Amino acid sequence: MIEVEGLTKSFGGLTAIDNVYLKFKKRELSSIIGPNGAGKTTLFNLITGHLSPDQGKIIFNGRDITNLPPHEISRVGIGRSFQRQNIFPRLSTFENIQIALFSAKHINGKLFSQAKNMLRDETDEILESVGLTDKKLMQAGYLAYGDQKRLEIGIALAIEPQLLLLDEPTAGMSPRETIEITKLIKKLVKKRGLTLIFIEHDMDIVFGISEKVKVMHQGRIIFEGTPKQVKANAEVQKIYLGKDKK
Amino acid sequence: MREIIQEFFKKTLTLRLFWLSTAVILLFILPLFISTAYISLISEMLIMALAGCALNLMMGYTGMVSFGPAGLYAVGAYTTALLLKKTGIPFAATMVAGPIMAGLVGAVVGWFCVRRTAVYFALLTLAFAQIIWTIFFEWYDFTGGDDGTVGFRKPELLLSINSSYYFILLIVIICLILLWIIVNSPFGKTLQAIRENPVRTEFIGVNVKRYQLYAFIISSLFLGAAGSLFAVFSGSVFPDYAHWIKSTDMIVICLLGGMYNFLGPVIGSAVYIFLSKLISGYTMYWMLFLGIIVVFLVLFMRNGIAGFISHKIAPLIQENKETEK
Repeated sequence: MIEVEGLTKSFGGLTAIDNVYLKFKKRELSSIIGPNGAGKTTLFNLITGHLSPDQGKIIFNGRDITNLPPHEISRVGIGRSFQRQNIFPRLSTFENIQIALFSAKHINGKLFSQAKNMLRDETDEILESVGLTDKKLMQAGYLAYGDQKRLEIGIALAIEPQLLLLDEPTAGMSPRETIEITKLIKKLVKKRGLTLIFIEHDMDIVFGISEKVKVMHQGRIIFEGTPKQVKANAEVQKIYLGKDKK
Repeated sequence: MREIIQEFFKKTLTLRLFWLSTAVILLFILPLFISTAYISLISEMLIMALAGCALNLMMGYTGMVSFGPAGLYAVGAYTTALLLKKTGIPFAATMVAGPIMAGLVGAVVGWFCVRRTAVYFALLTLAFAQIIWTIFFEWYDFTGGDDGTVGFRKPELLLSINSSYYFILLIVIICLILLWIIVNSPFGKTLQAIRENPVRTEFIGVNVKRYQLYAFIISSLFLGAAGSLFAVFSGSVFPDYAHWIKSTDMIVICLLGGMYNFLGPVIGSAVYIFLSKLISGYTMYWMLFLGIIVVFLVLFMRNGIAGFISHKIAPLIQENKETEK
C-alpha cells in the first residue's frame, strides 16, 4: 500500500526524521506512537506533501509520490485530519462536507451551476456516518469541539481516500467522547475497507484500534509490532510507556 | 415601538426576493420622478457597486485582500475609451474589449500576486496598480497623460443622462446576476473554503493557487466592465482611475457594506458615494470624514452595514419568533 524508504528531514541542525523505513499493508490499522517531538507529525506532513523530504522516497500503490504537491497527493487517495481542528469555520457543517465532495468528484470548477442542491444525498450520507445529521445547518465554527473533530473525519472521508492519516483524532476530548470517536473510526475504516495510520498519545486507543504499532523516538523507528509485543518490549517501556505510567 | 421595528425587519428579511425586485423596479422607474443630477449620482453608485462586488469576489469570498483593484478598473476604462477614440469598431465591441483586456492584464498580474499571501499579496497588487497608473500617466502620445483620454465618440442612444442610466443599470444587473451565480456555484463554494482555510482546502485535493488565480481573473473581468461603463458614463478617462486612492474607495465600499454579504458592496457604494457628495458639499475635508468612517467601521462594525443587520437585528427577530412559540 504505502512504503517509506530512507526518509530524512532536518530543520536547521535538528534531524526530525532520520532515515526512516516503513511499510503499511492494505487495510491494516496501524498507529504511530512516541513522545512529543519524536517526529510523528513531521512524518505525516512529509507523506501528504506538506513538507518535502531531504532524502528518501514515498511509494503509494507502486507510484512514487515524493515531492508531489498536497492537492495531488489528496487526489491519489490519501486523506488526512489534523491535530488542531481544521475545518471551514464560517461555512455550514453541510457545506464543509459538500465542498470536499465537489473536489473528490472533480466538479469544483463548475462556474454556472447552483451548488445548493448538488450531491445532497452523498453529503447527507457522510454526515450521517459521522453522526452530525442534526447539526448540518449549523455554522461549523460553532460546533462543540468533539463535533468539529467528527466533522474533520467526515471531510477526510469525503475525498474517498484509500489511506487515511489521522493526527491525534481524540486530542483534547473528554473520556466519553474519546470512546465514541474511537468506535466511530474503527467502524468507518472497516466498513469502507480503508488503510489507517494514526498518531496517538492515549495508549488505550492505540491498543484498542491498532493491529500494528510503530514506535518513534528522536526521528527514528525504534520498534514495530503488535500492541502486545509493544507492551512487552523493555526499551519501549523505558523511553515511552514508562514515563506515561500513572 | 420595539415590536413594530422587529415586525418590520422580520418582514423585510423574510421577503428578501420581494424587496429585491421592488428595488429593481424602483430603479427602473426612478428617472420619471427625479432630476438628472440625481440620476447621474445613482449611475455612479451603480458602477461603483459593480466594482465593489467584483473586488469582493476576491476579498470577501476568497479572502485575498487586494489594494490594486483600481488598476484593472482603469484598464477596462482606457481600453474602451481608446478604442472609441482611435478606431471605428462598433460600440458593443469596445464594451466587451474593456473587460477582456482587464481579464488578460489580471491574468498576468494575478499570476505573480497569488504566489504570495496576506500582506505580501496586498503589496504586490498595490505595486502592479501603480505600474499601470504610471503607464497611463507617462505614455502621453497614446493615452494623453494627465490630460486623460477625452472627446471620444459615444453612440447617439447614450447621449442623454437617462438613457445612459438605463444602459448602466442593465449591464450592472446582468453582471451582478452573473457574479451571484458564480459565488453560489461549486467553484464559488471552493473559493469560500480557500478563504476559510487554505491549508485544509489543499488537502481536499484543490490546487489553491490556481483557484486563487481564477478568482483574480474573474474579479478583473468585472472590474474592467465597471471601468468600461464609467468611461462611457463620464466621457473621459484619467490616470487617476488607476490610483491607489480609487482602490481605497473600492475597499471601503466593500467594508462599509459588508464583505460577507453578496449585496454588501451595493449598499456600501450607495452610502459611501452619497456621504462623499454630501460631505464634500459642505466642507473640503472629505478625507478627514473618510478617515473617521474607516476607523468606526474597523472598530465597531467589522461586518459592515449588511453584517450589522444580519448579526444585530436578525437575532432580535429570531428571539421574537421563539417567544411567539
